[in-house]
Amino acid sequence: MRRLLVSWLVMCLAVLMLLANVSYAHAKPLNIPVVYYKLPNGLKVAISEDHIAPVVAVAVYYNVGFRLEPKGRTGFAHLFEHMMFQGSANVKKFEHAKFVEANGGSLNGHTDFDYTNYYQTLPSNRVELGLWLESDRMRSLDISEENLKNQQAVVSEEVRVNVLNQPYQFFEWISLWENAFTNWNNSHNGYGDLAEINAATIDDVRSFFKTYYAPNNAVLTVVGDVDVNEVKKMVEKHFANIPSQPMPPRPDLTEPPQTKEKRVSQTDKLAKLPALAVGYHLPPQNSPDFPAMALLVQILQGDDSSRWYQRLVKEKELTLDLTGGLNYFGNEFDYTGPMIMTTRTTYKTGHTADEVIREMDAVVADIASKGVTEKELADAKVRYRSNFYSQLESSFGKAHLLSALALFRDDPQQINTLLTPFENVTAAQIKAAAAKYLVATNRTVIDRVPEAKTDK
Amino acid sequence: MKKLLAIILFTTTVTFAQQKTPPPPGPARPLNLPKITEKKLANGLTVVLAPLPNVPKISSILTFRSATTASDRDAHPGIAQIAAAVANEGTDTRTSKQIKEELRSIGGTLSLGSDADSTTMTASSLSEFSSRLFDLMSDVAQHPSFPQTEVKLAQENTIQQIRAGRADPGFLANERFQKAIFGNHPYGFVVPDEKSISALTPADLKAFVGKYFIPNASHLIVVGDIDVDKTFAEIEKAFAGWKSGTVPPDENPPVPRREKRQIYFVNRPGSIQSAIYIGNASIPRKDKDYFAIRTADTIYGGSFYSRLTRNIRETKGYTYSPFSSSNTRAKTGSFLAGAFVRNEVTGPTLLEIFYELDRMRVLPVTDEELSAAKEYSNGNFSVELASQFGLAGRINTIYTYDLDKNFINDFRPKIEALTTADIQRAAAKYFDTYRAAIVIVGDWDKVKDQVTPFGDVTMYDAEGKVITK
Repeated sequence: MRRLLVSWLVMCLAVLMLLANVSYAHAKPLNIPVVYYKLPNGLKVAISEDHIAPVVAVAVYYNVGFRLEPKGRTGFAHLFEHMMFQGSANVKKFEHAKFVEANGGSLNGHTDFDYTNYYQTLPSNRVELGLWLESDRMRSLDISEENLKNQQAVVSEEVRVNVLNQPYQFFEWISLWENAFTNWNNSHNGYGDLAEINAATIDDVRSFFKTYYAPNNAVLTVVGDVDVNEVKKMVEKHFANIPSQPMPPRPDLTEPPQTKEKRVSQTDKLAKLPALAVGYHLPPQNSPDFPAMALLVQILQGDDSSRWYQRLVKEKELTLDLTGGLNYFGNEFDYTGPMIMTTRTTYKTGHTADEVIREMDAVVADIASKGVTEKELADAKVRYRSNFYSQLESSFGKAHLLSALALFRDDPQQINTLLTPFENVTAAQIKAAAAKYLVATNRTVIDRVPEAKTDK
Repeated sequence: MKKLLAIILFTTTVTFAQQKTPPPPGPARPLNLPKITEKKLANGLTVVLAPLPNVPKISSILTFRSATTASDRDAHPGIAQIAAAVANEGTDTRTSKQIKEELRSIGGTLSLGSDADSTTMTASSLSEFSSRLFDLMSDVAQHPSFPQTEVKLAQENTIQQIRAGRADPGFLANERFQKAIFGNHPYGFVVPDEKSISALTPADLKAFVGKYFIPNASHLIVVGDIDVDKTFAEIEKAFAGWKSGTVPPDENPPVPRREKRQIYFVNRPGSIQSAIYIGNASIPRKDKDYFAIRTADTIYGGSFYSRLTRNIRETKGYTYSPFSSSNTRAKTGSFLAGAFVRNEVTGPTLLEIFYELDRMRVLPVTDEELSAAKEYSNGNFSVELASQFGLAGRINTIYTYDLDKNFINDFRPKIEALTTADIQRAAAKYFDTYRAAIVIVGDWDKVKDQVTPFGDVTMYDAEGKVITK
């Protein structure tokens, strides 16, 4: 963790020095106030005042996601997330939702590759309620056989409604990850196999809670219309006496380098049109190539002006749509393990996956040989900045970014300078990144076609 | 042994002191209600501005109130949808690609959509480029050129997208529900058929836009990091040349009334879940019962701690995400409750959805439930107003449905005034289980015995054709 942070800073500095005499139309510098500290039990705390509206976001992010769930227990990190709403010492089953909503708030949780979060947005004078609720379940989750059974049924329905009863069955995530990665921690189905979800025992739940849901494996973030000093006192009162836990060694998440293109063919019982998913392994976030790759993703598939969209949907009329990006569920900052850039496109009947791939490759070859124009790059940076600001619009949006920066870089203050390495990317770096990473040997392709009807 | 150890380790973590009861709220914070300025251009365009400098961006909605899916529907079914899809694919002076590239260079978005009450253009950009965004919006509103190649591509792609959508149970359930509630009324329109789409020409689309995209039946909302005077001057410059037109007559007739409970079953062989949508027509947006039905919905199934979620998710484990919603429009609205459930519990889910609906109609909600629902509405209203598109969307409903201009400031007092009797009266009237439409998308052979006790069944295929059982 610390090593990653240092490399990141060195990289930023290097890029800055390299480009010291190049000027761009930069954004006004951000000035988001952030107070950041750690409690003696290891809990990271980030607080940011924002008085634009009488609301506050209270979020807890745990440093555990799909990648760390136990073998034979696919989907467990997410099942566990559900268990966090089943009550704790002073909050009965599902009463977390009652307390938050009856006090004018909303709430949710989300399980991702490398984190699981729990958050509520509340009227800002109810901030302490949010802190109390989060502290109660961090300290004393109530785990019962009956509630586990209930949530296994609920999560099974979630998997049916979002995966098994749907055309395409999330193949651009679940199948693509299973094929693109070789390390089980990265490759396995994070939504989970129904049999494995239902095989989870109450001991599994207790052990996972004990291991990963400790204050020294979490960040608490508060953003909104509050007073920092008052919030600090409340945090001390509710969280300081939750004991820390020894952290197990993290499993090895590294991937062996890919040396051959992977091609997979699938049939789909429900889909009416064929679709294609493509994943390219990305350089790690602390690589000097990373900001260039992020801008390249923007240039290739970031919006309707992008090169792949224009080529596939408009010029060649091969595909209906184009979605995807650098991190399937999130952004550049809210993950920490190996990642692939994904592209998903529904193509038209009568065409083939090879035709689509050929056109995508032609676009990449053009960038790898001729590069991008200065205007294209400058515009991509404007788009990138605009998207970044949108992430900061809500108190929860800001809390999300601060939490990720605290969890993975131990430095949420970076929120104010996060854009800099991306604003400093050059056309030459984009060209080099295309040539280096967007090669066939670095990718996995899944062609998913409707199952042939027997009555035809 | 292993199990025992785990329990001991677990219990050691609960021995520390912890507060047993929820902390009380602090003193209420100022609401910071938005300052809204309304102006009018000489051509009749209403302009509404609200500063919200949470990020250096602006968010805008331009609503054409006359361009609805009812407009010209007899001559050209589906024309409003295709016009909305293609209007930003070329103007007299810009190609599709130039529009997309201009949007990228201002960090912007611009798209259009239509429904039975209006067509809306939704757009945003970095605030430093606001005048360029207004130029683009104005160009798309006044001079869409509907290039032949773009129209043809949109026709082909829309047809394919609708075909793809027919594999999705949610799409099928919504389509059948709207048709069940609203019949042949324009509100029952979801997507056009392939023949209607193919028949449209660029000339039809140009004529449609010329007739219905007119400033004197439109309003422009701009929210964000703006200075009201400077922004208004930019808007005036961009939109002053837009010529006013004749406001067409309202083409939405009154909505037919349903007379009995009926099951509309969309057969999807092989389905491992039943998608269940139950509901009926309700009230127009301006109706005095708006707040009562909205709050009844919150208590019934519209919030996480709702009765329906507690029952069929947290107690019975039938479903992941049960829901209900109150959707109100110009002429009428609908109330909808639903869930996606495994085949084996289709009948039991119907039973519980109806039980909870009837409970709301027959018995008053508790004071505690009502007070919680009020807090929920008020608190989440503040969150909505703190986002640029949240506030813009809320202002847009005021102008689209001709609501009281004080709607935002009056929201809290109107919610606070509700009584448990108001909620029961609204539920009794609008949670009309006796005349409910029951839409199920699922595998008929697997669930028919569970479904038939609830009413007469008409069966459809995924294309919407009536089929025999």
